[in-house]
Amino acid sequence: MLEQLLIFTRGGLILWTCKELGNALKGSPIDTLIRSCLLEERSGAASYHYDAPGASYTLKWTFRNELGIVFVAVYQRILHLLYVEDLLAKVKREFSLVYDPKRTAYPDFDETFRQLKMEALARAEDLKRSNLNPVAGNAKKQVQGHNKLGFEGGNKKSGSVAKSGGGADGDDANGWKMENGHAKGSFVAKDANLSSVVNGRENGSPNVGAFDVHKLQKLRAKGGGKKTDTVAKASKAEPNKKITKKNRVWDDAATKETKLDFTDNVGEDGDRNIDFVAADQGESMMDKEEIVSSESEEEEEQEDAGKNRKPHVKSKGWFSSMFQSIAGKANLEKSDLEPALIALKDRLMTKNVAEEIAEKLCESVAASLEGKKLASFTRVSSTVQAAMEEALLRILTPRRSIDILRDVHAAKEQRKPYVVVFVGVNGVGKSTNLAKVAYWLLQHNVSVMMAACDTFRSGAVEQLRTHARRLQIPIFEKGYEKDPAVVAKEAIQEASRNGSDVVLVDTAGRMQDNEPLMRALSKLIYLNNPDLVLFVGEALVGNDAVDQLSKFNQKLSDLSASANPRLIDGILLTKFDTIDDKVGAALSMVYISGAPVMFVGCGQSYTDLKKLNVKSIVKTLLK
Amino acid sequence: MEELEQWKEQLSHFYNLVMDRLREVPPDQLYAAAAIAIFTTLLLLSLRLFKRAKSNTVVLTGLSGSGKTVIFYQLRDGSTHQGTVTSMEPNEDTFILHSEKTGKGKIKPVHVVDVPGHSRLRPKLDEYLPQAAGIVFVVDALDFLPNCRSASEYLYDLLTKGSVVKKKIPVLILCNKTDKVTAHTKEFIRRQIEKEIDKLRASRSAISAADIANEFSLGIPGEPFSFTQCSNKVTTADASGLTGEISQLEEFIREHVKQ
Repeated sequence: MLEQLLIFTRGGLILWTCKELGNALKGSPIDTLIRSCLLEERSGAASYHYDAPGASYTLKWTFRNELGIVFVAVYQRILHLLYVEDLLAKVKREFSLVYDPKRTAYPDFDETFRQLKMEALARAEDLKRSNLNPVAGNAKKQVQGHNKLGFEGGNKKSGSVAKSGGGADGDDANGWKMENGHAKGSFVAKDANLSSVVNGRENGSPNVGAFDVHKLQKLRAKGGGKKTDTVAKASKAEPNKKITKKNRVWDDAATKETKLDFTDNVGEDGDRNIDFVAADQGESMMDKEEIVSSESEEEEEQEDAGKNRKPHVKSKGWFSSMFQSIAGKANLEKSDLEPALIALKDRLMTKNVAEEIAEKLCESVAASLEGKKLASFTRVSSTVQAAMEEALLRILTPRRSIDILRDVHAAKEQRKPYVVVFVGVNGVGKSTNLAKVAYWLLQHNVSVMMAACDTFRSGAVEQLRTHARRLQIPIFEKGYEKDPAVVAKEAIQEASRNGSDVVLVDTAGRMQDNEPLMRALSKLIYLNNPDLVLFVGEALVGNDAVDQLSKFNQKLSDLSASANPRLIDGILLTKFDTIDDKVGAALSMVYISGAPVMFVGCGQSYTDLKKLNVKSIVKTLLK
Repeated sequence: MEELEQWKEQLSHFYNLVMDRLREVPPDQLYAAAAIAIFTTLLLLSLRLFKRAKSNTVVLTGLSGSGKTVIFYQLRDGSTHQGTVTSMEPNEDTFILHSEKTGKGKIKPVHVVDVPGHSRLRPKLDEYLPQAAGIVFVVDALDFLPNCRSASEYLYDLLTKGSVVKKKIPVLILCNKTDKVTAHTKEFIRRQIEKEIDKLRASRSAISAADIANEFSLGIPGEPFSFTQCSNKVTTADASGLTGEISQLEEFIREHVKQ
């Protein structure tokens, strides 16, 4: 049952809402949809799920780009209404005929909408009826069975629906109820849902023949797929964990008898080796101005490559596109956008953007351009390029302020240390970049303390100790084989005692699939509630970036004991000097997590830390 | 060298031809033609100067959810129609303020631009600032304290932009949603923002970021910041978008958009 259908302009004014479906929406699903989906360039997705306390909705939308209108349908999450897309398309068409930029109220559209809705429901019902010919039905939406019993059952339910209108509506309402049931694949489930969802409607008894328990289970399982994955992995990981808390063994290496813990006797050795102190190695690159070279590269070479691949399409397309560019063709169709988008997607992928991300971005750009009028003297490819550039700029622009110094000052006023936790997979450069960040902060007169919570990797504590000695900052360490969460907690207490402004917490590298380690990380974050959770990712990573970030976020939210789990707040991109212009990893990471890139590591010495220059990245990506 | 000589000869030949033709023309016509040419040039130049001095654009900006689109429609139509959602694109229109529609005489229409407040759409503001005669910074007076920092940061960025400082564009801090009982007063909001900007000055001058370029610094270093230290005029006002209480805003518009 549709909760609400809204029509609004891209500028934000609501043009029409359905007055019949008068239920007020709980929370603010439309605003959230705009902020987290449409403005994040995910408008190519099929639907959006919104969860708020007390309600969970699914939202579907469609655009009318040349008029600048958006159509959004909201319905309860647990229902699978099939007619929504169809209805949205019809509403779009009808409303575009009525639309006038000067008008702001459309009361006469109510009647049109009611008719359209009935037509859509009837059509969906017909589709169901015609599809139901053989008996055995699959548990998918396209049920291939004709269930006469179901249809009779629908008819028998006379007057069980309290919809406005008399007997004329009754038939439609029954058809509508039956269609909902088919969408779920089981009639009992339909009634159960409706009784819980629909307000004040009495339901008839479920009287149709055998309902399929298997279908029900399959559908339930389909919906909860994500959860079962983690459950399966947890059960797989469980046997790995030994009963006694012995040494953590990564693979089947023979367990050593003696405990290899060198925490005690390092004092003198350390002093002897560290001769000089990295007092001033110059200005960190964070503070240097970036000179953006303004070269306007032509895309000719890429165009040629495209031409070679599809000669037949191009030869005809070039002439017609020239003609169209001068004449200014009426409206952009999806077929016109296809070749340009495919070329753009390939270009993005050669720049090391994850394939999934490039796909979604292209869909989103297509959705925003479809139906728009081509300005004269522009080619389709240049329009697509401009739209993509704007989209990339939008994604890479940080959503919130990345001014860390300001946050540090704010925390200083509250007399609390500002805690930053560095997380990431193995070998991305957490400890190195932690030292770089410490150096930068020191240059701005902020007192820093390091916390060595990597208690697993051999040499990790010594590494940090060396950095601390060179930078002359305190370090809190408890050696190896200790619980990182507890070490972090004590480090923060120590910092507030000796008045350090910032605590940088180093953690061990861990793969995103490793359940017990992710649990340990989640515990560390939950226990200490840091101000900034920084995900360290290397720029060399390809498609794995998507997997890493999404799994990290997912595990942090699933395994957290609190109601409001802390997710990744920022990204630190490392090894940026090793990639020439294949800067796509930055885009993949930002797109999939929504977190801004706060630092970029571009070398291995203390000064090699800089901020992300959005414009130059976008230029490099589209070159 | 020979070619150069040839060119010179041709040019002198042309020159003689032209002078002969000119001498044939009666002098009056010549003077008239010259006068018209000079007059047209002067006219175009003066029009350009005039247009630059008299801009009638007012820019509405502020954080997302502060009520800019509601105020835009109140100014234009006098009602908020059926409500608004988060804007994805700027709303701009040139119109006579709704309350002035019943007035007498010729009232010049005002060009109002409502720029979305969502942080991802901030760059759109830079397109409209150069032509602005006045900036209205809308602040949510009801939900002020949680957003105080982000509002102050946005305002600070605005006040340090080159185009705003050089042209001394007047800024009005409009405290919206004052129809609610728990809304803060404009004096309170002004003081809070001044305090936040003071802190921001200290931290921002510490970094010279490549992206966030604050071209100018605000106020006098060493003294606590106050809006009187800005080179452009900053004032505060109350308003309520939903009920239509926008008289102070309209005064500001009338004052700064010359008729």
